[in-house]
Parts: sequence; C-alpha cells; structure tokens
Amino acid sequence: MQPEQPKDRLEPTKEMTDRFKHLSLFWTDIMHLMASKPQALTSIGPMRAFAANSKKISTELIEINEDLMEFNKYLTQYYKQLSEAWGIAQKKVNLKAPEVPQNAEQIEAFKRIWIDIFDNDFTELFDSEKFGENYGKLVSKELELTKHWNKIANVILQSVNLPSKEEIDEVYKEMHSLKKRVGKLELELKKREMRKNAK
Amino acid sequence: MQSESRVDPKIIEEILKFSKNVINAPKLVAAPDEIVLEVTPHDTVQMMDKSRLIHYKPITEKQQKTPLLISYALINRYHILDIQPEKSWVRNLLQQGFDVYMLDWGTPTSMDKYLDFDDYVNGYLDSYVEYIKNESSNEKISLQGYCTGATIATAYTSLHPESVKNYIATAPVIDGWRDTTVISNLAKHMDVDKMVEIIGNMPPEFMYYCFSVLKPFEQGIEKYIKFFKNIDNKKFVDNFLRVEKWLGDTPPIPGELFKQWIKDIYQDNLLIQNKMYIAGQKIDLKKINMPVFTQVAVGDHLVSPECSMPLHYAIGSKDKTLRMYPTGHVGMIASSLSQKKVLPELGQWLAERS
Repeated sequence: MQPEQPKDRLEPTKEMTDRFKHLSLFWTDIMHLMASKPQALTSIGPMRAFAANSKKISTELIEINEDLMEFNKYLTQYYKQLSEAWGIAQKKVNLKAPEVPQNAEQIEAFKRIWIDIFDNDFTELFDSEKFGENYGKLVSKELELTKHWNKIANVILQSVNLPSKEEIDEVYKEMHSLKKRVGKLELELKKREMRKNAK
Repeated sequence: MQSESRVDPKIIEEILKFSKNVINAPKLVAAPDEIVLEVTPHDTVQMMDKSRLIHYKPITEKQQKTPLLISYALINRYHILDIQPEKSWVRNLLQQGFDVYMLDWGTPTSMDKYLDFDDYVNGYLDSYVEYIKNESSNEKISLQGYCTGATIATAYTSLHPESVKNYIATAPVIDGWRDTTVISNLAKHMDVDKMVEIIGNMPPEFMYYCFSVLKPFEQGIEKYIKFFKNIDNKKFVDNFLRVEKWLGDTPPIPGELFKQWIKDIYQDNLLIQNKMYIAGQKIDLKKINMPVFTQVAVGDHLVSPECSMPLHYAIGSKDKTLRMYPTGHVGMIASSLSQKKVLPELGQWLAERS
C-alpha cells in the first residue's frame, strides 16, 4: 500500500478557506451581537445606519478574499498563456531569421517576419477554447469583485440616506417601461393618423 | 586581432529621420481631439431619447425616388461612413442621386440599461422609418444595415417587410456559430447575465479590449511606426488620424440589448435558425421577401464572411444578390476600393430598384 502523499501546505484548500470563512463570520457575528447595545447607545446621526449595517461590510470583505484568490488563479493563467505564446512565437522568429540583420533592408524584412509570426500566434491563442474559457472566468471573477465593492458602497450610501444601486435600478426600470408604453402609443397614433390622411 | 563591426549608415539615417519625424509631429499635424469628423452637410431631423435621425443635404439635382436609411452599427459611431470626402460612403451615394438618412444611436447612459432589441427595432428604427415614409411620401424606403446595425435592420425587415422596398446588408452579424473571429470566441465564453447585472451597460473599455486582441502587433506597433514615417504625407496622416479618432470613440451598449445580442446571436445562434424573438414576435428570415443585396468582405476579421453569408441563403427573397470583396471590415465601407467597386455596384443595383 502506497503511503498517502503529503498535501502542499502552501496551497489553500476549499476546506481551509471554508474554515477561515466560518471562523471570521463567527467572531464578526459575536462581536456584532456583543457590540450592538453599546453601538446603538453611542451611534447617533448618520453613524446610526452605518453602525447597524457595518456587519455587511465585514461579510463582503471575507467574500472578497475568497473571490480574489480565484481571480488571481485566472489572472496568472492569463499571463501564462500570453508569455507562452510570446516564447513560442519568438522561437519561430529565431528559426526563420537566425542572422542578426545588418542593414536597413534586412531590418525591415526581419520586422515583417516578427510581426507576421507574432500576430498569427497570438490570434491563434485568442481564438482557442482554452483562452476563451479562462478569459471568460477571469472577467466573471472580476465582476464578482466589483459586485462586492458595490455592496460595500451601498452600505455607505445608505448610511447617508442616498439611494443604493438597486433602488436606482428600480427607477430606471420603471422609467424604461413607461417610456416604452408611451412611445408605442405615440407611434400607433402617428400610424393611424397617416392611414387616415392617406384615405 | 580585433574584428570590426560596421553599422550600416542607412540605419543611422533612418533612425535620425524617424526621431526627427517624432519631434516634428506635433508641429505638422492636428491633435485627434481637434479633428471634426462630420464631413458632409446634414440636418438632424428627428430625435428620440439619445438617438437621432440625420438627413444629408442632396448634392445632385436629379434624385432617386426611394430614400435610403442607414442603420449604423452599435460599436463606434456612424462617422466611418463619412470619414473624409474622398472615402465617404454617404457622399458617394449622394453623388449617385440617392436621398440619404443616417441613424445615429447616440450615447446610452446608465439609465438606458434596460433598452432592448424591441426598443431599437420596434421603437427607434420603426419611428424613423415612419418619419421618412411620411416626409418623402413613400410607402416604402430602402434600408441598409452595417455590422451589428445590420442585425437590427434584419430583424426590422423581417418584422416590418411592408415598409422596406430594398434591403442592403453590409457585413451583417447573422450566424454566430459560424463566425470564426476572435470576437466570437470571447463572446461565446462571456457570462453576459453577470456583466449586465453588475455593470449595467456594456462598457467601452471592454470593446477596446476586444480591439486590442485583433492583430495586436500590426495594429499596436507597426501602424504607429508607419504613421511617424509618413508624417510629411498630409493625406496619409489626415486619414490615419480620422480613423484613429473614430476607433477610439465607442459608446456603451445598453445592457439588455447587449445581453440578447450575445446570447441570441453568438451563444445560442437563434437568428439564423428563425428562433429569435423580439417582444414576443418571432424573427422569421423567410419573411424577408423584398430585393436584398448582401455585401461581404473576404478579409473581415470582425465579422467573418461565414457569419454574414448565411443571410443570403436564409431569406425568402427571389431577387437577391451576394457580393464578396477582397478587403476588410472597414475597407469595404471607407477605402478607395469601396469608392471604385463596392459603391458603384451598390448604386447600380439600388437605382434599378428605386
């Protein structure tokens, strides 16, 4: 029977991050509960709403940490793909033009070879499934990080009685729906008028 | 014994000349911000929200009876169709006696994130078509769509065939699964729901990223070397700066519209299968039964010919023409080839049917 391979201690596992998240949330919750009375007593004015919602900020920060790890993973992969494509393209250039260009014509020809090979190889990379997949995940993680920042900003906005992103979105949605209905009615009226005039 | 290495004096000369050109560039050419892209005289005749309808002033006495409305793309702005007098798509059509209108989609802001295909097709485009019909006393008009503007125009033509006399599809985005470009690869892997939920509109920065992966070394390095090498060539420099300014100015795309475009065209490929719906109405390409002229560029690296050509075979029209040109996406509409070949062919086809 083979002995169990030791896990890489440096690489964070899902179990480890879950434990860290639980630990952070536990203490944040307890601290929040313990502090809620003195907080309510001492926080006045704009700080009242901020104090009540401050736990949301710590929750977001914990989740940002998790997403940041994933984001870094895809970002590393992204740069790795770019640098590998660069290395391969450079090797191809070296094979095709091994001599150091000596005059202006040779430099021009070398530049043409270099650009053609690099453009071809990078286009091949950008066209590939592996690049598209990793880039999609990278953008997705970046968006999740933005979402956490949005939520943190919402806590601050609400503490000064300003509308949150969701509340503004509701207004936009309502306006869009109203404009659409009015626009369709106007167009229908115009068409009817034109038909009437044509008769 | 020491080996002697001599540098070609021509190289030194080239480097010195290039450095001199870089230093002199600001004295010789205008800054992109100082360049005004609107060339051909026109009036804004109608506005809806942030969009507007432009009517170009006629330059010939004899006019074709049926007016032409151009539905420009959602990426960048309509200026490329009128980038400079010698390469202007619009001016050429005016010279051929056509009455030309242009739809400028404008610059959507955060509050426009809920604008969708229905607003663009049955709202803006339909309203402007009605306006032109009314103004010109025509029951039908000719419609041209370019790139993503052709996706919108195709949907419109299917839903409102009674208003369209002739349809011209220039590099239309139709069959997303057949598209072989880098853009389609990125679009297929995009979590567009998340993007729209979190950011709202598709931001211009994302579009600039997409441009940066298209021939990055030719477009990112060589192009600018050529610019400085040719700094004394007024015509070259003027054209270069105009196109650069146009490239660097793309508006956001409304979130809901962008979402449906990416999903229905690139990810699920519904349009070509006659399975795409706009406000509950099916886009059936067989309902496009008027004369149709499809223009495709063989070297198009933004919308590949394989993505555009299926339109020609999917529509119900009997009178249909497909033309392929040995150029690229922009070359088809703003180059000497477009002036010498693409536009005369289009003009002749359109005149015979106007």
